[in-house]
Amino acid sequence: MNEEKMIMDRFGNGNPFRIPENYFNEFPQRIMKRIERRRRRRRIIQWSIAAMLTGCVLGTSFLTDSIGEQSTPFEADNSQYIEDALDYSMINNMEIATYLTEAD
Amino acid sequence: MIDEATIITQLKDKSQREKAFSTLVHEYQEALYWQIRRLVLTHDDADDVLQNTFIKAWMALDDFRAEAKISTWLFRIAINESLSFLEKKKHNTDIISGTDGFLSNQLLADPYFDGDETQALLQEAIARLPDKQKAVFNLKYYQEMKYEDMSQVLGTSIGALKASYHHAVRKIIDFFQLDD
Repeated sequence: MNEEKMIMDRFGNGNPFRIPENYFNEFPQRIMKRIERRRRRRRIIQWSIAAMLTGCVLGTSFLTDSIGEQSTPFEADNSQYIEDALDYSMINNMEIATYLTEAD
Repeated sequence: MIDEATIITQLKDKSQREKAFSTLVHEYQEALYWQIRRLVLTHDDADDVLQNTFIKAWMALDDFRAEAKISTWLFRIAINESLSFLEKKKHNTDIISGTDGFLSNQLLADPYFDGDETQALLQEAIARLPDKQKAVFNLKYYQEMKYEDMSQVLGTSIGALKASYHHAVRKIIDFFQLDD
């Protein structure tokens, strides 16, 4: 006797599994939300890296200028450089807070 | 049924990608879910693996070269994800090498399992197969997939698939001692 037929005769090939109600209606929305969260997080990471790089460039530039002007009194406003770096990074506090509190 | 060429064009265009991907999810979620569910058995695990499958597909969209059909590509990801999941689970629990009837009893207690004891035992027999044989058996026995299509999904020759299926059937017969 065909072995596959022996199994088919005894068990059939019906589906014994069930799913929660509305599972397939809700799944696409859940997965698209998860993808959107990933995209947002990726964007924030890219911005953060850009911000760090900008900070490094400005910091290096600041140090170079300071060394070059060692004989003159220090007049540059340090906080201005930090503010500029944050502006260039285009990240506001709300975005940083969202990123830190968001669970995947 | 979606138009494959249109959806591929939309997926390549970043301004239409999200909408096209959502169409893909709607189209293939059920077929992929059932393929995954038969391998991992519980709904919660199947839900996790299905999500991971679509996330992996989304992340790999730039690498999709349209050499295979989208459905074949998605099935391949789903099966690989399911088998990786089972591999990880095997390290954490010892269900497969556990006592006879452990898995079938778990299934009978699962509110999302509707089968009787015989059906639960069949699922246990399938779960005890090596991973590749398990995938081949499910695709052929439940989904009645042709060996040619299965070869594309699993990246295995038709001859090897036929041998895997034959071994899987033989092991299930032995598990139930059907030919005694």
